[in-house]
Amino acid sequence: MLMFGLYSAGLCLVKGLNQTNMDNRFAFGLWIFLDLTVIALGAGAFFTGFLLYILKVKELGAVINSAVVIGLVCYSGAVAALLVDVGQPLRFWFTFWYPNVHSMLTEVTFCITCYLTVLLIEYVPIVLRNRRLRQVPSFLIFEFELHKLVYVLAGVGTFLSFFHQGSLGGLFGVLRGHPFAFREGLAVWPSTFFLFVLSAAAAGPSFILLTTWLVSKISNRQLVRPEVLPLLGRISGMLMIAYVLAKTVDTLIWINHTSPGAGVPAWQYYSWKPFGTWILFAEIVAFGLIPALVLLTPRLRLRSNWLVSAAALTCIGIALNRFVMTLQTLALPTLSFDPFLSYFPSWQETGTFLGVVGFGVLVYSFSFRYLNLFPQERDLEQPEAAPVREPALAGRY
Amino acid sequence: MFPWNYGFHWGAVSIVFLGAFYCVLTVISTTLILALRRTYRSAAQGRADRIRWRSEFQELAARDRLCRHMLSGEFPYRECRNAFDCRRCEAHARILEKRRPAAVAETEEEVFGMAFPLDRLYHRGHTSVLPQPDGTALVELDELGRRLIGVPDQIALPQPGTRLRANGTGWRIRKREADIRVLAPVDGEVVDVSPARGGCLLVRPAEAAFDHLLTKSEVRPWLLREMERLQLALTAQGAPTLADGGVPVDDILASYPSADWDAVCSRMFLQP
Amino acid sequence: MSARSYGMSIDIDKCTGCGACMVACAVENNVPPAPEGVNERKGITWIRVFRLDNGAEGVDRKWAFLPMLCQQCGENTPCVSVCPQQAVQLDPATGIVGQMPERCLGCRYCMAACPYHARYFNWWDPSWPAGMEKTLNPAVAPRMRGVVEKCNFCHGRWHAAKARAAAQGRRDLDPADYVPACVEACPTSAIRFGDLNDLENAPERGSFRLLEKLGTGPKIYYQTQRDWVREIAAAPGGTERAHG
Repeated sequence: MLMFGLYSAGLCLVKGLNQTNMDNRFAFGLWIFLDLTVIALGAGAFFTGFLLYILKVKELGAVINSAVVIGLVCYSGAVAALLVDVGQPLRFWFTFWYPNVHSMLTEVTFCITCYLTVLLIEYVPIVLRNRRLRQVPSFLIFEFELHKLVYVLAGVGTFLSFFHQGSLGGLFGVLRGHPFAFREGLAVWPSTFFLFVLSAAAAGPSFILLTTWLVSKISNRQLVRPEVLPLLGRISGMLMIAYVLAKTVDTLIWINHTSPGAGVPAWQYYSWKPFGTWILFAEIVAFGLIPALVLLTPRLRLRSNWLVSAAALTCIGIALNRFVMTLQTLALPTLSFDPFLSYFPSWQETGTFLGVVGFGVLVYSFSFRYLNLFPQERDLEQPEAAPVREPALAGRY
Repeated sequence: MFPWNYGFHWGAVSIVFLGAFYCVLTVISTTLILALRRTYRSAAQGRADRIRWRSEFQELAARDRLCRHMLSGEFPYRECRNAFDCRRCEAHARILEKRRPAAVAETEEEVFGMAFPLDRLYHRGHTSVLPQPDGTALVELDELGRRLIGVPDQIALPQPGTRLRANGTGWRIRKREADIRVLAPVDGEVVDVSPARGGCLLVRPAEAAFDHLLTKSEVRPWLLREMERLQLALTAQGAPTLADGGVPVDDILASYPSADWDAVCSRMFLQP
Repeated sequence: MSARSYGMSIDIDKCTGCGACMVACAVENNVPPAPEGVNERKGITWIRVFRLDNGAEGVDRKWAFLPMLCQQCGENTPCVSVCPQQAVQLDPATGIVGQMPERCLGCRYCMAACPYHARYFNWWDPSWPAGMEKTLNPAVAPRMRGVVEKCNFCHGRWHAAKARAAAQGRRDLDPADYVPACVEACPTSAIRFGDLNDLENAPERGSFRLLEKLGTGPKIYYQTQRDWVREIAAAPGGTERAHG
C-alpha cells in the first residue's frame, strides 16, 4: 500500500496535479477532506495530553503513548498529503516568510508546523524508553528530564491544537462566496471555528478508543485496564453532546438568518441530488446525537460492542462533517448559471491517500513492536494478584 | 515574518499573530534547551544510575512493587513509593522504631530447598550482603539468583574503586539471551571483585547500618512471594511449572530451553 | 495620480456569443492551449461566455450570452483575505485585484473562496506546439504549472499605457491607450471599460451586478432589457437552465 501510494504521489509531483480529478470548481478534493478528517481524529493526542497532564486524569496514562503516536502519524501524514496537494510544494516556506495574518490558512500552517514539532518532541521520550536505547546514559537522563517538563509541552500542544482545529473550521466559515459554508461568529472567528474544536475534541478520545480496541484485538493482548475504554467513551460522549447542541443552534441560526442574508434560502442547498436534507440529519442525529447518547449511558458503555460501535459512529460523524464542509460546499453552485457538479477522486488521488494510511500503519506497528505504548499491559498479563499470604503448605518441604 | 520582509504590516492582528507564534517557538525551544542542560548537568554529576532506577521502577507492574512491610504483614496492601529505597521512607523508619528485636531461633531459612543464611541481609534484587569484621561487606547473588542464572556465559564486573549506589548497577551477567544488570544493594566503593558463584564484590559501604535491606523474619515471606512471581513469570512464558513446592533445580534455565529467559530474569531482577 | 477604480459595463443584449473576447484574452495573456485530456472544467479561460436560456420550448426558447470574468471585487475581496502568502493584492491605485504567480503556492484556497469561479489553476505545464510560440506576447509572462491565475484587466497594457504617458511627459495615462484585449476584440462593443470614478463611466441605471448580496463589491456591471435574463443572472444559487 505504501509503495503504491508513493508511486501515485510521485506521479502527482512529477506530472502535475492533472493526475487528479480535481478541477477549477473542485479546487479541494479527496486530499483536503482527508487532511481535515485525520487531523480531527488525531486530536486525541492533544486532548489526552491535556486531560492527563493538566487536568490530572490519571487513568489516561494508559493510552497517552499510543495517542501521541497516533497524533504523530495523523499530522505527519496530513502534512505529507498537503505537500503533494499544492501546486508548488517547494514554495511552502512562502507562507512563513510573507504571512497573511488575515487568512485562516496561514494560521493553520503555522500552528500545524509548530504542533508537529511538539508531537515529535513528545515522541522522543517514547522512543528513548526502548530497552536498548535506554542503555545509553545520556538518552536515559534526557528522557527523564524531558518527561519532567512534559506538562509544558502538553500545554503548548493544547494551545496550538485549539487554534488549528478551529482554524480548519474557520477556513470554510469565512467563505463569503459560499453561503452554504459561511457563518458569522465571534470577532474574526466564525462559529465553525468553535464547532470544529469541539468536534475534534469529541472525536479524539473516540478514535483512541477505536484504535486501542483494534490493536488489542489484532495482537490478542489486553493492553489497558477495563475501565479505561469506557472512560474515553464517556469523555467523548460528553463532548459530543455539547457539540450536537452547539451545532443544532448554529444550524438553526444559519437557516433562519445567515443564509437568507446572503440571498439564498437554506432549502435550496438540499434540493441538489444527492445531497438532500438526509445528509444534515445524518450528520447531526444519526452520527452525532445517537452515538453521543450511547456513550453517555453507563450500562451501554460497559458493553464492548456498544462502546466500540458508538465510537466508530462518532468518528464517522466527524468525517461526514468535514466532508460536508469541503466537498458539498464546492459542489453546490453559487452563480445562477453554475451547474451542480460532481467529483470522484482519481486512482492517483486514492493511491496517495492509501500511501498515507500505509505509512501510518507502518509507524504505529513499529512503535507498538519496539516501544512501550501501553504501560498498563504489564499489570494485565496475569490476573491481579491478591495480597500475599502464606501459601497452603502442601508439599514435601 | 520579519519586519524587514516585503509586505509586512504593523497591524494589531499581525503583532498578535506573530507575537503568539514567536512565543510558542520560544517556549518549545526553551523547554528543549532546559532539558538538554539538565541532562548535561545530571550526566556530569553521575546521576544516571539513580535516574535509571527510578524510571525503571515506575515501569514495573504494580504487583512487583509491593512494600516489604506488606509482605511481612504490617500493611494489608501497599505499593512502594520510594523505589525500594527504604532509607528515605518515613513509614519504614516508624516501623523500625516499633519493632521488637526478634528472638531468632534459626540461623538460616530454607525455602523450597534453597538455603538463605540469616547472617546476611537481602536486597530485593536478589543480592545478599554479608558484613565482614573489617567493616567491608561481601555482596553476591542469593541462592535463588544463582539458580536462575546457573553458570553465566559472561560476567562484567566493575573495577575496584568504582562507586556503587544502592539500586544502581552492581555488575552485569549474560546468560543465553538474558542480559541482566544486577542491582547493587548498598552505597559504597568496590574493593575487590571475583567472578565466582555468578559474581561477587567486596565493598566498603558508605554507611554502617543496612536498615533498608531485608533481614531475618522478613526474608521468608519475601521469598515465598518471589517464588510465586517466578511461577507467574514462567507461566507467562508458556513454560509448565508445578505449583506443588518442588525444589528448584540448580540451573532452572536449562529446564526451560524454550522460555524467554531474558523476560523471566528481567522480571526477577527487577528490570522492565 | 489619483486613485482609479477600473471596472466594466457589459451589455448582455449586445453579446452575440461569438467568443472573440475569449480568444483575444488567451492570445494577449499567453494562456497555453489546452493539453490532451483537458475537460471544460480544467481549462483556463480568464473570460468565459456563458449561455443562458429562458427555459421555454420550441419557438419560445430564447438565449442570451453572458461574458464572465474576474469581478475585481472592491470590498471584502474574498481571494485577497484568504491567500496565505499575500500573493493576491487589491491595488488601491487601479482597483485591480492582482495575482502574483511567482508567490502563489498553488493551495487553491482562493479558488474555493471565489464565488464567481473566476480563478483558474494550471493543472498542466504550459506548452505551445512547435511554431505557436511565435504568437506569444512578449509583454506578458506565462505562468508555471501549479499556480493560480485570473483576469487582471490586461495589466500589461496598463503598464504600457503608463510608459507611453511617461514618455510623453504626462502624469496620467490616456484612457484610449489602456484597453483590455477583450474590450478591443468585441465586435459589438458589448464590453465597455473605464475608470468607474469618471462620471462618463458611471454604471447605467438599471444595471446589476452578480451576487450583490454577498457584499463583495464587484466592479463588473451588467445591463439587459430582458427581464428573464435579469432574473436568472441576479438569482443566486444555481439553476438547471444555464450552460457554460
